[in-house]
Amino acid sequence: MENYRRLLLNNKAWVEDKLNVRPDFFTRHSLSQKPQFLWIGCSDSRVPAEEITGVEPGDIFVHRNIANLVIHTDFNMLSVVQYAVEVLGVSDIIVCGHYGCGGVKTALSRQHLGLINKWLRHIKDVYRLHAAELDAIADEQQRNERLIELNVTEQVNHLAELSFVQRAWKTKGHPMLHGWIYDIHTGYLKQVKKVDPGQLPHDIYVYEFPDLDGENEVS
Amino acid sequence: MDSSTPSPQTRWPSPAFLQRDLPAGLVVFLVALPLCLGIALASGAPLLSGIIAGIIGGLVVGALSGSELSVSGPAAGLAVIVLASIQKLGAYETFALAVVLSGLIQFGLGMVRAGGIGDFIPNSVIKGMLAAIGLVLLLKQLPHALGDDRDFEGDEAFQQPDQLNTFSEIWASIQAASPGAILISVSSLAILLLWETRRVRRFRWAGMIPPALVVVMLGTLINEALILWQPAWALTQARQQLVQLPMVGSAGEFFALFQFPRFTDITRGAVWVTAVTIAIVGSLETLLCLEATDKLDPEKRLSDPNRELRAQGVGNLVSGLVGGLPITSVIVRSSANVYAGARTRFSTLVHGAMLLLAVLFLSRWLNHIPLAALAAILIAVGYKLASAKVFIQMWRQGIPQFLPFAVTVGAIVATDLLKGIACGLMVGIFFVMRSNNHAAVTVVRDGNDWMLRFNKDMSFVNKQELKRRLREVPEGSRLIVNGTKALYVDRDVYETLEEFEVSARFRKIEIEYHDVLGKEAIRR
Repeated sequence: MENYRRLLLNNKAWVEDKLNVRPDFFTRHSLSQKPQFLWIGCSDSRVPAEEITGVEPGDIFVHRNIANLVIHTDFNMLSVVQYAVEVLGVSDIIVCGHYGCGGVKTALSRQHLGLINKWLRHIKDVYRLHAAELDAIADEQQRNERLIELNVTEQVNHLAELSFVQRAWKTKGHPMLHGWIYDIHTGYLKQVKKVDPGQLPHDIYVYEFPDLDGENEVS
Repeated sequence: MDSSTPSPQTRWPSPAFLQRDLPAGLVVFLVALPLCLGIALASGAPLLSGIIAGIIGGLVVGALSGSELSVSGPAAGLAVIVLASIQKLGAYETFALAVVLSGLIQFGLGMVRAGGIGDFIPNSVIKGMLAAIGLVLLLKQLPHALGDDRDFEGDEAFQQPDQLNTFSEIWASIQAASPGAILISVSSLAILLLWETRRVRRFRWAGMIPPALVVVMLGTLINEALILWQPAWALTQARQQLVQLPMVGSAGEFFALFQFPRFTDITRGAVWVTAVTIAIVGSLETLLCLEATDKLDPEKRLSDPNRELRAQGVGNLVSGLVGGLPITSVIVRSSANVYAGARTRFSTLVHGAMLLLAVLFLSRWLNHIPLAALAAILIAVGYKLASAKVFIQMWRQGIPQFLPFAVTVGAIVATDLLKGIACGLMVGIFFVMRSNNHAAVTVVRDGNDWMLRFNKDMSFVNKQELKRRLREVPEGSRLIVNGTKALYVDRDVYETLEEFEVSARFRKIEIEYHDVLGKEAIRR
């Protein structure tokens, strides 16, 4: 049987499962979504957001790209984050990287892959930012894993630098930002970074909002 | 275990002990006395053997027990087995040896931690057992209350040795009702009901005096008054309407009544068969009773079933050595104990000590107590166990809970404790099997493509559903069997699939397996 046909069959069985547990599963979802989380993860097929966190459809708003990057010129990602923060009002944003990330591995090499070079360049930037720490690690795999962690930390910082995230902190008191690593060898998630609402980044990235009744001062 | 529910451990005497456990022990003693005698009679054993078992159950098992509130003694549930065993073994002394051996076996069961099997009995069945015992008490004590009952031996079994059953006996006793007995039992029940009302409970003394004691004293006084002024109505020893203890003049006379086990029979196979039977049935009764008593315990303590089995083992060993009947934890006395307000094991010890003292010194006085008064106490206990509230509660929990409960109740009332529980268990297991069996396989189709997916572990019980669903797949289609969700697949199921493969070849069905094979071993 062709492989894609298997997906269509699985879908039918899945519908049956959902309806068995809740007959109104789909009618309920057809009305609106109210996810509590935004997940920015890697496109890697082995790190599916809902499955590893044990949640159901409707619980997580998801954006995935190669090496879970938050790039300030990426309109796709920016639109997702702005919609999640301002319209859905998510309480938490999770940037989730994973050990064994192909994007990070390639960025550490001199491999030329055409267009992808432009995307992975941002990881090379992270490397340069932390070159002192990373060059001190002799073991290649350990260095690779440390870069994966630092990459997630940097992407969380990028989120905190977004004006509409800072604005939401002032007006709503959330979202909280998280940096997690998925250990592909064990299946466990590990927290590497947490930013509380209002915990501003470097001064140069802090914005002021004169329209918010004089509450311009950083609280 | 929740830290707020401490495991039972002995608490030493305090004013609370005097206030609660001493009167409770007295009540249990009064309830136990006629039962010990009756069960001995029903077992075809010397009357004293029942009392001895009661004393050991109170003093030895009571001291060692894993439960603070369970009361042990001779069990009506074992009476039929004991009767048959004594006849088969030929001599009571040989039977006593079997009791000794059963004690050793039971102790061994406790050592290998076999007590856990009690946890496999569903709640609905235990609740059914309690309600049924309540009903049995109501029904069986009714003849006593009416003053016409010459056998209290089969008190927990439907068919009685006198060829009457529960219902025909009630009819017979209504016809032969004695006005004196009715006077005593009705006024006793009135006192017991009155004691439950708020008006009486307001008074401090009402909480300190067990109503059962009042009932016994009042019943005796009424009867003594009848003897004086209305002899025709009075209840008499001659008509077996009063407590009957063997008269023992001295301790020496008492010990002379002991029958010791005949150790030379230890090589007889029948002795060992009897020992094993008593050990198993007695352990089951004990564990069930322990579960039930824990449920009644107002402090909701969790008893250690293995410690209880060891305690019962020692109890049976000792009981057998001095010619007593086999002992189990018994629910009628245990629930009477709880409802009499007991909080610690001292009430059980008190009841054992009182049985001993009674047989030594008090038989003359105790023989004045009318059975009708004791019957009223048991009827009140029975009503508490089988109140309408219990039935309504179980009904509200739905058919899978109510049906095993109702079957247990019905079967215990119609047969006896162990048979009834076996029936309830089977119904309970049926519901478990059904819910586990339910929707084990999902079948979906997309045009000519079919997928059969295991939704859970697959064993022989799922074979029928699998075959039925496989038959749905029409000729010429393509089928994927998906086993991702199963951790374990029985060989029986693989065989069914292999058979299907053969027929599929003829029907041009193409089969693919996805994560199905190699799951014959249970992975932990």
